Amino acid sequence: MAQHQVNYASSAGLPIALTSVDKLVNWGRSNSLWPLTYGLACCAIEMMATGAGRYDFDRMGTIFRASPRQADVMILAGTLSKKHSEFARRLYDQMTEPKWVISMGSCANTGGMFNTYATVQGVDRIIPVDIYLPGCAPRPETLQYALMMLQKKIRRESADMKKNKKQNLRLV
Amino acid sequence: MRKYTPKDNVQAKAYYTDRFWVAPRVPREEVEAATHFAKVVAALGSLAKETYIEIGQLVIHINAGENFQVLKTLKEQCGYTQCSEQSAVDYLAKDGEFELFYQLLNIHEAKRVRVVCRIKKDEAIESIVPLFKSANFAEREMFDMFGIKVNNHPFLKRIIMPDDWEGHPLLKTYPLQGDEFASWYEVDKIFGKEYRDIIGPENRDPARIDRYDTKRFSRIGYEVPFGADISKGETKQPIEYSETFMTNYNKSSKQLDERK
Amino acid sequence: MQQPNKLTPFFENLNFEREDNTMVINFGPQHPSAHGQLRLVLELDGELVTKAYPDIGYLHRGIEKMAENMTYNEFLPTTDRLDYIASTSNNYAYALAVEKLLGIEAPRRAQVIRTMLLEINRIMSHLFFLATHALDVGAMSVFLYAFREREYAMDLMEDYCGARLTHSAVRIGGVPLDLPAGWTEKLAIYLAKMPEAIKMYEDLLTENRIWKMRLENVGVISGEDALNWGCSGIMLRGSGIQYDIRKEEPYELYSELDFDIPVSDRCDSYGRYRLYMEEMKESVKILKQLIPMYFETEPQLMAHAPQYISAPKEEIMTQNYALMQHFVLVAQGMRPPKGEVYAPTESPKGELGFYIKSEGEPYAYRLKCRAPSFFHTGLLQELLVGTYIADVVTIIGTTNIVFGEVDR
Repeated sequence: MAQHQVNYASSAGLPIALTSVDKLVNWGRSNSLWPLTYGLACCAIEMMATGAGRYDFDRMGTIFRASPRQADVMILAGTLSKKHSEFARRLYDQMTEPKWVISMGSCANTGGMFNTYATVQGVDRIIPVDIYLPGCAPRPETLQYALMMLQKKIRRESADMKKNKKQNLRLV
Repeated sequence: MRKYTPKDNVQAKAYYTDRFWVAPRVPREEVEAATHFAKVVAALGSLAKETYIEIGQLVIHINAGENFQVLKTLKEQCGYTQCSEQSAVDYLAKDGEFELFYQLLNIHEAKRVRVVCRIKKDEAIESIVPLFKSANFAEREMFDMFGIKVNNHPFLKRIIMPDDWEGHPLLKTYPLQGDEFASWYEVDKIFGKEYRDIIGPENRDPARIDRYDTKRFSRIGYEVPFGADISKGETKQPIEYSETFMTNYNKSSKQLDERK
Repeated sequence: MQQPNKLTPFFENLNFEREDNTMVINFGPQHPSAHGQLRLVLELDGELVTKAYPDIGYLHRGIEKMAENMTYNEFLPTTDRLDYIASTSNNYAYALAVEKLLGIEAPRRAQVIRTMLLEINRIMSHLFFLATHALDVGAMSVFLYAFREREYAMDLMEDYCGARLTHSAVRIGGVPLDLPAGWTEKLAIYLAKMPEAIKMYEDLLTENRIWKMRLENVGVISGEDALNWGCSGIMLRGSGIQYDIRKEEPYELYSELDFDIPVSDRCDSYGRYRLYMEEMKESVKILKQLIPMYFETEPQLMAHAPQYISAPKEEIMTQNYALMQHFVLVAQGMRPPKGEVYAPTESPKGELGFYIKSEGEPYAYRLKCRAPSFFHTGLLQELLVGTYIADVVTIIGTTNIVFGEVDR
């Protein structure tokens, strides 16, 4: 038996945090989003600038990974050409669940100014996209904001990925 | 009456041209004697069909069959040691010919020469890779973009477009936004032809917005659950305004109280 | 074992061939040190590369085709996306080609501003080269330092034109805007800071043992080969051939400015790295000379050629004829005379030239962009053979290729 009685309400508070599994898992997921370095065109330069000193992407828990197998989020930065499209899809398939996609820049969103024969008119034709980031090229602040929006989105999702309705393109 | 659109040139056209307007031409100067270019013309002799100077650069028209000989002369006798560019212009609609040009540079004299020749549609051109290795990629690009065959090229293969691509994009008959094959290329390749219906055609209208698309774009003003079907009209959700009405909003309520 | 089908195809990067004991390895197109979307198929014998096959075209966007379907002024922002590390140099090369075709010349103040922007872009591009090259070779901290100075240069560009990356800061016939108030002072501060920064990079790298071991005698290319493969810019000058278009075929104000062209006869990556550092110092020197020149000029920004170029905004708003002219030029586009032109410029990567064939229409009949990186990529198939696989990344880095202009 305890010799004294601890009054949790008055001293240091309860040594217990109550939360749901969803919140706990999503807290972990959203605060360590590791993006895949998928620089395709001009936006890749802004993505690098985001990772460099002034904008410092790392403070959000994002560390660029070169392998899709280690990455959680694919930042598709730049124009996706038709020749490249199958590689984009394959890299997406190689990423482990849970995975998210940020489409960075107008070219990735809709084809942008390159309304030509060689450009995929929006990467959402081949992979499901979570965040569309407009701009040509978007500033580093915008990419940071997009990542924050993605974190917000993740926190609202269910931790069980099967419950999250994703687009049909995900598992065919 | 339906508007006539020529099939042999589907590129953008000026929508209005004055009937009496005659386009001027950039002045072509004669090659003056005792200059560097005069020596080049003399070295070529009868190989050059026509020579003139246009915007500071010597232009030499030659027969397509003699291109290797001409470039060899220019390289070995006139010091044009770099081939800085090589490509073609499509004149099939007008003359049934391609115009090929070789852009050469002499680094000692800092002079540039453009060698121009014309070939018919099905003719091939001799490769200049033994003289200038830079033509290796340039000729491959020309083959890729125009379909011009190059004889004796070490590795004549598509370079820019994928190997299984149909058509040659820089021809005037090829539309800017691609043909049927191009528009389904990535879907066919990744998912297969049977997925064309599911994915749907490309959206080539840059200003198009699908109001009823809840999958890709959020609704402005209020939220719709993911995947909700609103194609038969949206659920009644009136725009909500704030309850508090502010009259005389330039003055704060405190000021009004004071006046009372 | 996988069951390959159309949706989940079975692709393998490695291919072992038993007969000749070589290994075929695929590098890219998504590789962090491929500088974009270069795909290399390498045949290896042990660690030695016996065959290299660069595969390009993964960033082909049809820019040359777009040029045939756009009026001359419409096309200008598209040129930003060619060499996106130094956008203004593309804008300028295109504007120069069209100006030569039209036979007009920008007014002096526009020339000063253009030369300033070109040199700032050169510094930005060289800093970017240094950052990525060092990162590829393994010096992470240089990346952070070089990006710091690059951000300051981008701030200058942003103050001038509002964009960080895709500037469109040059127009056909001049520049759209005058320098904002206080800009030259900011530039002077930046130029005062820059030599110290360059000295810091050199302290970090030039005598660094690892850096020297990774770069010396790697990617050796003789002068003759460099010419034969169509190399230009630093790739040519790094092989002992003194040819800089700014000096030999001067454009803008380069004939009036006092600057040197560094040349190296080391023919290797280390020599090229030294040239990049020296060129940055020369750019600082050029910019310092340009600031006083700016204040001596008249405030005219666009050339006066009413047939081709719209009048300044005040005239459009006040004079009827200028408004009509502007309307025609915007609605129909300018119609240059028939003819063809090839205008070379010295971009940070090398010789960037635009070949334009005009048939007197508002659309170019054919536009060919002579991109330096395209030819430097072609060189890789010879340069990589006989090197070790660890040096492949160094060699790709030292060619400083940008895939926007390789694939166009």
